[in-house]
Amino acid sequence: MLTRESKTQGVTIILLIGAVFSLATLVVRLGAFHLPGNHQGYAPEQPIAFSHRLHAGELMIDCKYCHHGAEISRHAGIPASSVCMNCHAVVTDTLGSLRAEDDLAKEEDRKPRRMVSSELQKLYDALALDEEMKPKAGETPEPIEWIKVHNLPDFVYFNHSAHVNAHVDCDRCHGAIETMERVRQVESLSMGWCVNCHRTVNSIGVAGITVDASLDCAACHY
Amino acid sequence: MGESSSKTYWKSLPQRSDGVIPLPIAGDEFPEVPASRGMEFRRRDFLAAAGFALGGMAFTGCSRAPIQKAIPYLVAPEAIVPGHAVHYASTCRACPAGCGLLVKNRDGRAIKLEGNAEHPVSRGGLCAVGQASILGLYDSKRLQHPMQQGKRATWDVVDGEIMRQLDALRASGATVRVLTRPTSSPTMRRVIERFVGSFTDAKHVTYETLSSSAIHQAHERTHGQSVLPRYLFDKAEVIVGFDADFLGTWLSPVTFTAGWASGRRADATNGTFSYHAQFESRLSVTGGKADCRVPVAPSQLGAVLTQVASAVAKKSGVAFLAGDVGTNGIDASLVEDLAARLWHARGKSLVVCGSQDVNTQVVCNFINHTLGNYGATLDIAHPASQGDAGDDAIQTLLNELEAGTVDALIMDGVNPVYDLPNGAAFATAIGKVGLVVSLADRISETSSHATFICPDHHYLETWGDVSFGDGLIGFQQPVMRPLFDTRSALESLSQWTGVPKSDRALVQETWGERVSWNKAIHDGFAKVSQQAVPVGAFQVGVVTPVPVAEKVRDGQLALVLYPKVAMLDGRGAANPWLLEMPDPITKVVWDNYASLSEKTAASLGVETGDVVRVTRSEPDSKATTIELPALVQPGQHDRVVAIALGYGYGESARFADVGPEWLEKKPTLGDNGLVGTNASPLLTYRAGQLRLSGAHVSVTRTGRKHTLATTQDYHNIEIPEALALPGMIRRRPMVRETTIAAYQRDGKLPERGHAVHHEDLGDLWPDDHKYEGHHWGMAIDLTSCTGCSACVVSCQIENNVPVVGRDEVRRKRIMHWLRIDRYYSDNHGETDVLHQPVMCQHCDSAPCETVCPVLATVHGEEGLNQQAYNRCVGTRYCANNCPYKVRRFNWFEYAHDDKLANMSLNPDITVRGRGVMEKCSLCVQRIEEARIEAKKQGRAIADGDIKPACQQSCPAGAIVFGDMNDPESAVSKLIASGRHYRMLEETNVKPSVGYLGLVRNRDEIEDDTHHG
Repeated sequence: MLTRESKTQGVTIILLIGAVFSLATLVVRLGAFHLPGNHQGYAPEQPIAFSHRLHAGELMIDCKYCHHGAEISRHAGIPASSVCMNCHAVVTDTLGSLRAEDDLAKEEDRKPRRMVSSELQKLYDALALDEEMKPKAGETPEPIEWIKVHNLPDFVYFNHSAHVNAHVDCDRCHGAIETMERVRQVESLSMGWCVNCHRTVNSIGVAGITVDASLDCAACHY
Repeated sequence: MGESSSKTYWKSLPQRSDGVIPLPIAGDEFPEVPASRGMEFRRRDFLAAAGFALGGMAFTGCSRAPIQKAIPYLVAPEAIVPGHAVHYASTCRACPAGCGLLVKNRDGRAIKLEGNAEHPVSRGGLCAVGQASILGLYDSKRLQHPMQQGKRATWDVVDGEIMRQLDALRASGATVRVLTRPTSSPTMRRVIERFVGSFTDAKHVTYETLSSSAIHQAHERTHGQSVLPRYLFDKAEVIVGFDADFLGTWLSPVTFTAGWASGRRADATNGTFSYHAQFESRLSVTGGKADCRVPVAPSQLGAVLTQVASAVAKKSGVAFLAGDVGTNGIDASLVEDLAARLWHARGKSLVVCGSQDVNTQVVCNFINHTLGNYGATLDIAHPASQGDAGDDAIQTLLNELEAGTVDALIMDGVNPVYDLPNGAAFATAIGKVGLVVSLADRISETSSHATFICPDHHYLETWGDVSFGDGLIGFQQPVMRPLFDTRSALESLSQWTGVPKSDRALVQETWGERVSWNKAIHDGFAKVSQQAVPVGAFQVGVVTPVPVAEKVRDGQLALVLYPKVAMLDGRGAANPWLLEMPDPITKVVWDNYASLSEKTAASLGVETGDVVRVTRSEPDSKATTIELPALVQPGQHDRVVAIALGYGYGESARFADVGPEWLEKKPTLGDNGLVGTNASPLLTYRAGQLRLSGAHVSVTRTGRKHTLATTQDYHNIEIPEALALPGMIRRRPMVRETTIAAYQRDGKLPERGHAVHHEDLGDLWPDDHKYEGHHWGMAIDLTSCTGCSACVVSCQIENNVPVVGRDEVRRKRIMHWLRIDRYYSDNHGETDVLHQPVMCQHCDSAPCETVCPVLATVHGEEGLNQQAYNRCVGTRYCANNCPYKVRRFNWFEYAHDDKLANMSLNPDITVRGRGVMEKCSLCVQRIEEARIEAKKQGRAIADGDIKPACQQSCPAGAIVFGDMNDPESAVSKLIASGRHYRMLEETNVKPSVGYLGLVRNRDEIEDDTHHG
């Protein structure tokens, strides 16, 4: 039979274990704690599994080839489907699977079949293109609804062109995009983070060039 | 209060008599909701509300941020880069003047209209009506498809049916009439001519309520040509206006304002300063700016003009039989003085007359002829291209319709059922026509009677042209794709003529090789050679003295109907921006009213807000009556009642829901379910001319009340009674003025008698505010400012300022960032007017900044007083501490769900939510844009790169923004002027916005004893 003391002891032990567990979870949670509105680490699944690692990393396509607004406009812009088609009218699948099909066809002594990756098929479907890249009769093309990763609140007016023309590299804010299979928000994009950079570059410059980065509220808020 | 050399200014009549506004009228800056029954907040309610709020917070706290999508183009259009604005040149068609436009287009939609600074006629200005016309594009009440018998139809069906009927009429030689406004578009004229030409008995009939037909006919008599001269105000050194509100509403106010203002630069070293006299029955914008203003009854106008003509003739030695026209109570020495000034400035003077009486206009022509002004300040060899409206043509048409002899009627841009005095008869008569086609873009009083409605594009969606008469052609290009299944009127008429062509092809066809097409479209205008109209020699014989018209009987008043700034003849009646724009003179919004002079109102026992019955009884017809609230108006002639046209428009019923929804909401619409009262039934026809003024009416009280929403006693800057020490000046002078004689002698404004001198205790932040880079500032010239309010509307559009509705304006919650204070002052029994635009003054030592507990309003490095909406928690301390009363609080969530109307929002500006303070930012979005552009190009921001919306739209060029650190900037030069002063500078708040005192062309400074 349990004594009064052992009962108390037992409760204490259970409480202690509970406390340790809750503390441990809290530490883990705290590590992932974000202020409301901070979506650092946000990496939503996109309608097409577009790989920046492949395009920007492996193939070294310039960011501004697709995001050409970055130099002239407030928005960098998501490329129109027509920009994708500049290459993907011809490139319909990965190089590996195209080569494999070529080899197989040679082996089997036939014409290589048309290889289309399942992801690119989504692009062609969006554009309502048939196998010969001709518009399908009776179907209207529908634009692809990408999920926006880097969101700023409505009361912030960020201008890409101001930064790109001041030689700020894309990865300064977007991280090593060229390594990402799926784009993830690397930085917090919080006001403190913006202001810190503005302070830093005012003393050390960007790429060796002195800059005048405003610290006024109205530089971004109006 | 001691002796003073300065005048006393007052905003409203109670203020004049008492020196300050008694509190019940002026009230608090933020009137609290009066406690009414059922509104007490009990403890239980509080707990319930708190419980809801907590629960709500817990729920919303758990929600994830909504997923935002980025949907790109399928095929990227070449000209559109998302987020990057492009400007297209076009021509404004909101009124017949045709000012040059630059249309700002963002992401494929037009969001702002700006004046085209390179345009030779409008020179960069754009009036309130033009500014606001962009909302018509995003009007959800626009017709979105053709209609047949009130039902939706397709173009194929409608075209097929109309053409089948028209072909039958062509074959049978039936009677066809096309009814439009007089058009200044050569292509439109050509297309209508071709359409009319395809029938054996067809006619093009035009009419306009604001008709200038009398001027045409007077020139027909005096010069043998029915022309409307081009008036060149910039070349005139003496300007005399007779009931012509040329700075407000007459013909082409933007052009005239630019010309008028260019002749009144007080600081120009060798420039002359024009003299402007105005004879008018009501107080107009133009009269408010005149150096000499004389109230005259409509019946006297011709006689006074004759007196002036006689005096001028005497000086020139030309025989002129003035006859016995009497003196009409007008001081003979005044007429003498005016004639002397005119004669002295012969060839450089201009007499304009807005009368609709041909004989009066003939006398006006005689004066201009005698002074040698034709060819100098009036051009009739290259007249304005507006054709003669021919006021009797519409009545002839009505007779034809009533007789049932018209087989088809095509109407474009007209609403005769609304704006004709016998509109109801027109509505009945239309019923007798077999085929009625309306090209209206909405269902109106008239188009609802049409068999077919074939909606025209908005003018920003179509090609077009406008001729200015001197060879200058303005071009109109579509700045975005048509939003709806509408079609250009040019295309419709062309289709029904049997030559279907696109509007672009039709315009191109008109000009062919005469213009370089691409350049013309790029610039928005082109010059072609224009043959001079053969003008005959002046026919002195036709000039007859105009006697005083029939005297107004006792107990009656002369009626003056007038187009109001912003509303004109009803063109702006569906536009909430224009309806909520305070009238430049009365400061009333959302209503029209019967203006009465103080004396007349007193004798009738009427006060502002009393509903009166205005009755016109003609001997041969039954009495016409309208009821509307009265307004006591200083400066108006005693025997006159003035009523604005353009109200009581059927479509204004849509504003039932305008303004925030809340318990104490009161409707914006009047008892008639409309905004204001339609005064067109009181229009008269006399001698074949449509008359706006002159009819005799009786005005009686109804005993009812209607509180007008007016901003005139808003934002008073005075010491409250409770805080005023004995002998303290409670109202400080905000405006300063001088005369050209005194200014040229002294080079500065007169000392202020009322000034309170404060010791300069130095800067609160001597080290913080260095302004090492730019230091933005603004200077506003009160001499040029006419109060036209183009800036108010321009600011509203640029900065997403909401419309709040009549009831909220009554509660002093109008949201305009830029207000125009209108001051009256007494000048030997007459009323002087002074306008002062007031926006945030961006003080260097801003009182608002020190009291904000959350640092939502802070000082910028370049002197801007910044407002961060996302920080603001709505304490309103800043507004209470602002000496200029320029801060506006969002009492409600003003954003609305009209998706189409929201397309006109500026995407570069936050749409503010409830509980947030806002105010003028000096268009910081434009500053930032210019800064980024300059940085991209590796250069400094040049003077003139940044034009805030108010400066951009100002037809008079009265507002100048720039860098005060740059001694060569335009604003620095104005600050150096002797006329420059800052409002309340004695308080040491150091505003960055300054004013240039008003200069009137009078001989000596007024020494008026003040009333305080």
